Amino acid sequence: MLWAYLHFPHLLLDHIRCSRSGGDEQHEENSEPALVVVDHSAQRVLQACPLAQAQGVQAGTRLKTAINLVPELAIAHADPGREQQILAEQARWLYRHVASIVPYPPDGLLVEVGSLEKLYGGLAALWQTLEQALSERHLNAWMATGTTPLAARLCARAGQGQCTADKGHMERHLHNLPLAAAGFDDRTLTRLQRLGLTRLGEVMNLPPAELARRLTPETLARVQKIQGSRPDPQQPWQPPHHFRQQADFVQDIERAEGLLFPLQRILTELEEDLCWRQQDTDSLLLILTHRHHEPTRLRIRTSGPEHRAEAFLNLIRLRFEQHPLPAPVISLVLSVRRFLGREAVAGNDLLGEIPDLNEAWHTLISRLQARLGSDALQQLSPQPDHRPERAWSASEVQRKARPAIQDLSSLPRRPLWLLNGPQSLPEAPVAWYSGPERISGGWWDGQRVHRDYYIAGLAGGQLAWVFRDVRGGWFVHGWFG
Amino acid sequence: MSNLLNTLMQDARIWQGHRQTLTTQPAEPTGYQVLDNQLGGLGWPRGALSECLLEAPGIGELQLVLPLMQRLSRAGKTVFWLNPPHTPYAPALAREGVDLDQVVMIHTEDSGDLLWTLENCLRSPVTGLVLAWPGKLAARDIRRLQLAAEAGSNVCVLFRSCKLAEQSSPAALRLELDAGEQQDLRINVLKRRGSWPGQRCTLALGHRAGLSANESGRVVQGPWSASAP
Repeated sequence: MLWAYLHFPHLLLDHIRCSRSGGDEQHEENSEPALVVVDHSAQRVLQACPLAQAQGVQAGTRLKTAINLVPELAIAHADPGREQQILAEQARWLYRHVASIVPYPPDGLLVEVGSLEKLYGGLAALWQTLEQALSERHLNAWMATGTTPLAARLCARAGQGQCTADKGHMERHLHNLPLAAAGFDDRTLTRLQRLGLTRLGEVMNLPPAELARRLTPETLARVQKIQGSRPDPQQPWQPPHHFRQQADFVQDIERAEGLLFPLQRILTELEEDLCWRQQDTDSLLLILTHRHHEPTRLRIRTSGPEHRAEAFLNLIRLRFEQHPLPAPVISLVLSVRRFLGREAVAGNDLLGEIPDLNEAWHTLISRLQARLGSDALQQLSPQPDHRPERAWSASEVQRKARPAIQDLSSLPRRPLWLLNGPQSLPEAPVAWYSGPERISGGWWDGQRVHRDYYIAGLAGGQLAWVFRDVRGGWFVHGWFG
Repeated sequence: MSNLLNTLMQDARIWQGHRQTLTTQPAEPTGYQVLDNQLGGLGWPRGALSECLLEAPGIGELQLVLPLMQRLSRAGKTVFWLNPPHTPYAPALAREGVDLDQVVMIHTEDSGDLLWTLENCLRSPVTGLVLAWPGKLAARDIRRLQLAAEAGSNVCVLFRSCKLAEQSSPAALRLELDAGEQQDLRINVLKRRGSWPGQRCTLALGHRAGLSANESGRVVQGPWSASAP
């Protein structure tokens, strides 16, 4: 078995930098202030961006010192829960390239690569793929290979990782690792150092029984796990069946246009993810977090299955145009929980015109719904009821498979216009053409209707559908338009 | 003559009084032979706006576009109704053979939304026919819609008040609708591309209420008419 370990030395920093820039690093260097991540009590700097480092801020610097060095310093707070989520986001895209992933919170991912060598045609090719994927996402990672999970992890964290499948090479490397980088607890480390040991190799050469007796059995277990003579089972990670990505901003974003940049990146990620799964979705949930305001929840719906980032972005842009931001935004989360299997294209049109039109239809309806609200668009259908106001219904627009056209000419003659409610007859009709047609019903649901309908001509030449109700009042209910 | 000028002549974009060019602009038959004859044998222009000016609903204005609506909806084209003044009655449309799955009714809140919606509908290849009741429109807006209609080559019929008959409009076809004797629809062509206006015709539309022409005199007189207000 061959393992690789990806250690993200400043994952949170990379994540925030990625969120605030559109991936345009040159641009960012010039306009954005230096950024640091500080610990929970806001005492010390944990991670510093290159710009901050150039001005003398290092990890471990006191925050006060850092602010004195760089007055316009942007500060983000470390949050263990948040880091775990970011790590899961990384595992999600990594899953496209490798099958078995074990997350090591807060900042590492273990990958089993032995079984992938054949697929990629060698470790070097896999390495290159991973490095490319990392640089696309502007992530800094230290990678190392090892024969055991722990060995890979130690080498990677020490920042001396190499891409090699050669056992002797890896072993030599491991033996040369300083003892402090081997991850023993402080007490054991002190005792080992007092014995005069400085390299991990020297500890591994000690007789196991003595090691267990003189130090602790746990120390032996750890050494054996590094060496691979003791099993170290790993629980492989399974990608969750939903998509969730978050972008955090150090500076509040006040204008909706500012959100489109990070959204585009997330949506591209979503598109890749959907393509990779051969799935589509029809609803996105966008949550905007504000500093002093309830989070805004925007549900973006498309009228049909969709996966293209551009289409989603257009809909979101329309939504932003209609609903301006209520308050500045400090972070945004895009999540998708509903996935639809991608259907095979139904139309077997040689020129591919039918599916194209289908798609155009969905695009148009989605656009209209995004701007006008989904209630603004309605589809009409007849309903089996005698009462005219209940003989039709409006429903949300859906693309249906074309049903067989029924012969409806046996239906009674009705006007093309139905008034939203009966209106009292403004004038006495000049001519009566047909009637009465008695419509009586609704005794079963309390909406009783008892009317005599006539077709009448008004003085202006209009043909009206009028009725007389039980009390003898005359009303217009429709126009023969 | 330059290419540009040729196009202007052929599409009858320039009105020439002395010569009536037979235009080759695309069109959809109205379904009424009498009206088609008055419109140069073509019908509703495609890729251009048509205006119907009328005073009040109920004179047969929907009946005028019904044959087209039937044909397009059955061909799988979507028919949009924008801001109709009343509810298009689904049982009646179904009875007339309109495929209701292709009918989408849209209500917008303000005129900005209306124009935006109209433009989007007109530009889309899925649209067959757009019926709109836009209310007040500036000439500039109509011009913009005209361009959108050209981009999509769909039929768009705007129903507007007959008070606007005196005003000029960039629409390619303008019809003034009026109720005639015996439930007829009198049509006065106010404007059409490449020809003189002023053609008049009358369509017998009594069948929309199930009345045949000769029977329209059959009046059901009774005690109820006296009690009508």
